[in-house]
Amino acid sequence: MCWHIVLAVEEMMNDSYVYFIVALLPLAAFMLTIQINPYNALVIRGILGAIAALVYAVLGAADVALTEALVGTMLAITLYAVAVRSSLVMRLGVLEDGLLKAETQAESGDPSAQLIADLRTIANKYHLRLELIPYADPKSLDQALLEKEIHVTCIARSHHDTHDRSLHKSEGRPYSITTRIRRLYDILQTDLSSPTTSLTYVTAPDSGEKH
Amino acid sequence: MNLVLIAMILALLIPIYGAWQDDDIWQKMLAFASIATKTSVMILVVSVLRDDWMIGVVGVIILSVGNAGLMLLAQLIKRMNDS
Repeated sequence: MCWHIVLAVEEMMNDSYVYFIVALLPLAAFMLTIQINPYNALVIRGILGAIAALVYAVLGAADVALTEALVGTMLAITLYAVAVRSSLVMRLGVLEDGLLKAETQAESGDPSAQLIADLRTIANKYHLRLELIPYADPKSLDQALLEKEIHVTCIARSHHDTHDRSLHKSEGRPYSITTRIRRLYDILQTDLSSPTTSLTYVTAPDSGEKH
Repeated sequence: MNLVLIAMILALLIPIYGAWQDDDIWQKMLAFASIATKTSVMILVVSVLRDDWMIGVVGVIILSVGNAGLMLLAQLIKRMNDS
């Protein structure tokens, strides 16, 4: 039994193509480490899995290759794609009759459609997905922000007459964006250079046992 | 036959380079599909070379299942771009 394995290993080592195939594995791993976009990294992980399965099969470990292809490539990538898709999202609460209507009409000259497009561009820059969530009135919008259902609210000033938090410092700015996340506030303050919007940061109370 | 395999490895480097250079996610998916198919065909060639049925069966399974995984991933990415 032992001499058989030794013979097999010697025969395998005589095949020069094995070295080339094994050299592909660190190349793919290096490609995976330099990716920035998480979705691109997932696709490269699939490439790494395919090459790893090839290496394992060539080195004689057929069961390991099968596991790598089934679990490492197919299952892990699908689960990670679902996880990244649902976590890298910026939930923007809007009023039903205000910004959402402008978004569906999508007129390029409309300032609210322009604002949504700007926010979408900023979110895409940080690989976030912008999700618009409509609410009926400004009160439920504020409530949803404090209860951590949404990350950012964006309302036009005319709809915002019941609960003015920042009117005193932003006269003449028709749109008001409020966020409860410090990092989003920093990003929006840096990148959203629109003169028509005012930006506010609120701290949501920590409800503790929720989530 | 070693030369055939080395030629296949060189052909495998082309989609790897494509996946490296192009930032479009669909180009990367295309390179992934190319690499997945090429590696499974290489496993089949090695199995024929060594007359090893175990590796051959694994190559066939990887060839078919890799396409299923690719379809799942493409469906998820397409839905993400739509929404």
